Amino acid sequence: MKGRWAGRALLGVPTAFLLGLFVLPLLSMVVLSFWRTENYHIVQDWNLGNYITLATGGAYVTFLIRSLVMASAVSLVCILIAWPVSYSIILYGGRYRLLLTLAFAVPFLTGEVLRVIALQGLLGPLGLINAMLMALGNAPLRFIMYTNVASAIGLIYLYLPIVVTVIYLSLLNFDARLIDAAKIFGASPLRAFVEVTWPLNLFGTLIGFALCFIPCLSATLAPRFLGGPNGTLYGMAMAQQFGESGTWALGAAMGVVLFLTSLIAVLLVGMRVNLRRTGFTGFGRG
Amino acid sequence: MYITLDGVSRQYDSVWAVDRVTMGIGKSEFVSLLGPSGSGKTTLLRIIAGLEKPTTGRVLIDGEDVTDLPPHRRGVAMVFQEFLLFPHRTVFENLAFPLRMLKLPAAEITERVAWVVGILSLGGLEKRYPNQLSGGQQQRVALGRGLVGRPKALLLDEPLANLDRELRQEMEVEIRRHQSALGIPFIYVTHNQEEALSMSDRIAVVRKGRIEDFAARTDIYDRPKTAFIAQFVGRSNRFEGTVGAGGRSVATRCGTTLALPAPLDPARAVQLFIKNEKLRLAPADGTDASHGANRLACTVKDVILRGAYADYILAFGDRELNASRPRSERAFLSGEAVIAHLNPEDIDLYDTDGERPS
Repeated sequence: MKGRWAGRALLGVPTAFLLGLFVLPLLSMVVLSFWRTENYHIVQDWNLGNYITLATGGAYVTFLIRSLVMASAVSLVCILIAWPVSYSIILYGGRYRLLLTLAFAVPFLTGEVLRVIALQGLLGPLGLINAMLMALGNAPLRFIMYTNVASAIGLIYLYLPIVVTVIYLSLLNFDARLIDAAKIFGASPLRAFVEVTWPLNLFGTLIGFALCFIPCLSATLAPRFLGGPNGTLYGMAMAQQFGESGTWALGAAMGVVLFLTSLIAVLLVGMRVNLRRTGFTGFGRG
Repeated sequence: MYITLDGVSRQYDSVWAVDRVTMGIGKSEFVSLLGPSGSGKTTLLRIIAGLEKPTTGRVLIDGEDVTDLPPHRRGVAMVFQEFLLFPHRTVFENLAFPLRMLKLPAAEITERVAWVVGILSLGGLEKRYPNQLSGGQQQRVALGRGLVGRPKALLLDEPLANLDRELRQEMEVEIRRHQSALGIPFIYVTHNQEEALSMSDRIAVVRKGRIEDFAARTDIYDRPKTAFIAQFVGRSNRFEGTVGAGGRSVATRCGTTLALPAPLDPARAVQLFIKNEKLRLAPADGTDASHGANRLACTVKDVILRGAYADYILAFGDRELNASRPRSERAFLSGEAVIAHLNPEDIDLYDTDGERPS
């Protein structure tokens, strides 16, 4: 009896947590998105106006598509960088493995704003890179000054540590002796990677992708400080609804759209992956 | 010789894991590398496979120097202790893997997998994943994956260590049968002397990276070349002592005298090994007159029933002796006084450095 109550209580904690801090705010956001705001007042009058604005107002569609492209590109680049980095830590890190992985978390010790502003100082017109180029008599690099590329660099910088950590953990749980087995049975090193290493770490890679993709979609800081006039991303526009413009209902609708987009992206990826084929044994025997 | 190791050594930091190993293995030979853990036998196997590079020396397979060839171009196969089946592939796909790497046509792959499924009785399991198999089934798939590509040699790294005893004995017979049917060399690494003795044509005893002896299994068991082999293979009683004045007997440290089969220099320090089953038992009352030259008066301390035979732990002075007798002989009870006797020919005698006296 006691065990059952303890079990329920333990399950109750995360349930209450999720209900109170996740489901409830989400529901209130959904409700708000069907109301409207007028002169900084919420008017409780059910309508689809916000969604119609989002679907027909060209700018919002552009922002969403730009955000999707940006988040996909950033996540992809992060994975391309994170793979060789994690792989070399696993292969050559030796006793410093853990230290090296923790080193990726060092930037987190400062605030996100600070990190983005530091990057601004690095990439901007008078930043370290361009100032040095100009001092040496070269033309400054225009594509990193308040552009989408600068935003992307900022986002990669912000989320790369997470992707590296996730892929590192995936590789850590991967039995590298399977590579030996593949080689013995005739696979070249490249073939062994394609046949064994990649599929068995695909699940981890996808989690890394999702953990980068989702926050990138709603990113506000990096585009605001690093992006240019054409750099407005969806998350940044959404933040404006809650700030300057005071159109909370429209902002809520944008939040719902973002939530659904992320959900669909995750489901699309999830449906394409057969977990069995990634060596995932969470199903247990049977 | 089909596989030749020529002065092969492997150094890790300052340790020689494999030290100047030279050996030749015939085309249809079953060879075991037998040694305690850490003796370097697995490193030796991985050098043959190409997973480790020797620091010095050459490896030849079928007349070709493969020392610098990577594992996937050596044409050998391996069965691992942990099986190392691909967890994201079905049994069929695991078995087809070596064939796909050989770029065989699909029809032939199906045919060859069916053949190996047949000889290893894996029928009906083709669509399962490795984690849906029992240990014995996984072991069979691992063996099948080793055989399906018709390799030049099959290397087995303690493949039965993770199986229970009954299954192990079953698999021993099966592995040996496949080896003789296929006519390729099997090189079998184990620390289990029973496995080595039951399957091998020849056994190489590995100790500290060196081959202590490489000989037919009967020679390894019956005429161990060094004290280490006498100690490691089979179970025996060890005595230390000094050769007596006449050179015909040894005065042991535990205070008894044992007659020798052949005379030796007097005053020489030696160690003696007597296999447990060579120690015969007779009742102390003298009703059995078949006593050998060496008689040791003991008391039975404990009897351990092994089924077909019984192990006797005997109190002899202040030490213990072990004797192993068939159950068909007269049984002795705990506490009974017995005479343990042995023929001088059954004594394996070594110098204190472990070599046989010349």
